[in-house]
Amino acid sequence: MNPKISVESLTVRYGGRDQPPALKDVSFTVAPFTIFGVIGPAGSGKTTMLRCLNRTLENVRSSRMEGVVRIDGADTAAIRPVSEVRRRVGMVAPLPVGLPMSIYDNVAFAPRMAGITDRATLDQKVQTCLQQAALWDEVKDRLDQLGTKLSGGQQQRLTIARALSHDPEILCLDEFSIAVDPVTTMRIEDVLLELKARMTIILVTNLVQQARRLASTTAFLLNSELVEVGPTDRLFSEATDQRTSDYVRGVFG
Amino acid sequence: MSGTPVGAGAGAGAGLPGGQSLFAQAPEGAAAEREQSAVRGVLLIMTVLMVLPVLSIISLLLIKGLPAISLEFLTQFPESGMTAGGIFPAIVGTLWLVGVSLMVSAPVGILAAIYLNEYAPDNWLTRIIQLAIVNLAGVPSIVHALFGVGAFVIFMKMDTSILAASLTLAIMTLPVIIASTREALSSVPMSFREACWNVGASRWQTIWHVVLPNSISGILTGVILQVSRAAGETAPIIFTGAAFYLPYLPASVYDPCMALSMHLFVVSTQVPNVPEELPYGTALVLLGLVLCVNAATIVIRSRLRNRRKW
Repeated sequence: MNPKISVESLTVRYGGRDQPPALKDVSFTVAPFTIFGVIGPAGSGKTTMLRCLNRTLENVRSSRMEGVVRIDGADTAAIRPVSEVRRRVGMVAPLPVGLPMSIYDNVAFAPRMAGITDRATLDQKVQTCLQQAALWDEVKDRLDQLGTKLSGGQQQRLTIARALSHDPEILCLDEFSIAVDPVTTMRIEDVLLELKARMTIILVTNLVQQARRLASTTAFLLNSELVEVGPTDRLFSEATDQRTSDYVRGVFG
Repeated sequence: MSGTPVGAGAGAGAGLPGGQSLFAQAPEGAAAEREQSAVRGVLLIMTVLMVLPVLSIISLLLIKGLPAISLEFLTQFPESGMTAGGIFPAIVGTLWLVGVSLMVSAPVGILAAIYLNEYAPDNWLTRIIQLAIVNLAGVPSIVHALFGVGAFVIFMKMDTSILAASLTLAIMTLPVIIASTREALSSVPMSFREACWNVGASRWQTIWHVVLPNSISGILTGVILQVSRAAGETAPIIFTGAAFYLPYLPASVYDPCMALSMHLFVVSTQVPNVPEELPYGTALVLLGLVLCVNAATIVIRSRLRNRRKW
């Protein structure tokens, strides 16, 4: 099967050539309709890698990227406009960000920016996305309330609903469980398992067990390098690299 | 403390010797309370000192200037060699100058600030531009006046006119408008921009739909505060467009005009036998105008802040 995403010798620096790289020669592929887990301690380059996938790295001043990221075999650097890449690659940031507008507008934002103005279409879209993010029942009676006034866990699901609102083929989640309670985390995990049937999911997580529960393939990043990537079962039972088995067993990190 | 004698040299060389704290020893009991009230007292005195001049200026102007204020004073031309009559053309002139300079400085300043804050790459060109803006803000207003004469009045052949004076005022207020607008823009959290980019919104869509709506109160405040500054300045307009006396109102921006600040300077120093309440009345009107503008700022600010959304 052709890979959905293929990352080839990705190297990223913030600042000049003399700066140590934030990612060093990273290569891997992601199969379609799977959950791809990425684990590794803080500062290992996980977020930087996600930024390369949806090309938001370009908005970080003084960042430099070498290497190629392909989606369905096509080089993302050649896709124009860049918003097309962002539309195809949904992104959920570690801390929930409710935009300072109503819950409805938060979810309708991306479709509107893409030019959809028909109210019925937007209504339908908002409802579907909120349902998929397991938030609809809690907010359906107060869609005109400010998104920023929701609780942290609700805002995180609102962020997921917003990421789904532009029908991405790939959904990236960057340590989504940092700001939510265990119950919400479990609900979101269930959501992800359902979404897997329709899209490819990249799950960056600081919870090793979360990757074990959800991901079919897992990659281990350490100090800007990709130490090991392989089927999750193998990585957790018989890792090739000593550092990987130490990390998944909780010896460090 | 007396129990542990410590040599100064040893302390410097070997870090913190036993018993000595990195921080000043906090006094105890009554001494602590005395220190607290002393600090509080000094701060209070400084605050009162700052309020005193404001209050005395306003009350002096009210006492000496209020008798001059009347409908005629506000709506008629000066008479008898400016020793009597009203200040109507000066009020009109000041409104012209402020209005025209604002039409130039507000759009240029706000758009430049948006570029610098949202688009500009961090390179040597941007840094030079920023340095230029900071330095422009530090140029004395009389130097702006000389530049205005050279550039607008003589070189661009605008003659002494509202246009030349307004452009000089605009250049003087621009750097501050840029600085305050940037301040307002950067108060919008970066995470909002990233969230918008992540769902495929372009840079401009992000600015228009999220950044500007949430920084507009700060931007307006900065601009309006510069209005009051432009209204009060005398030096930049004295050679570029403000007239000593004009028997008619300006018909277009190519005419010179009278101005409140200039008129105040003229009647208080240049004309003999002016009754005392005339300059004070003029000053009162000028101050009233500026305070009105400041009040408008406060109203706008509080209105928009009530709608703050995070």
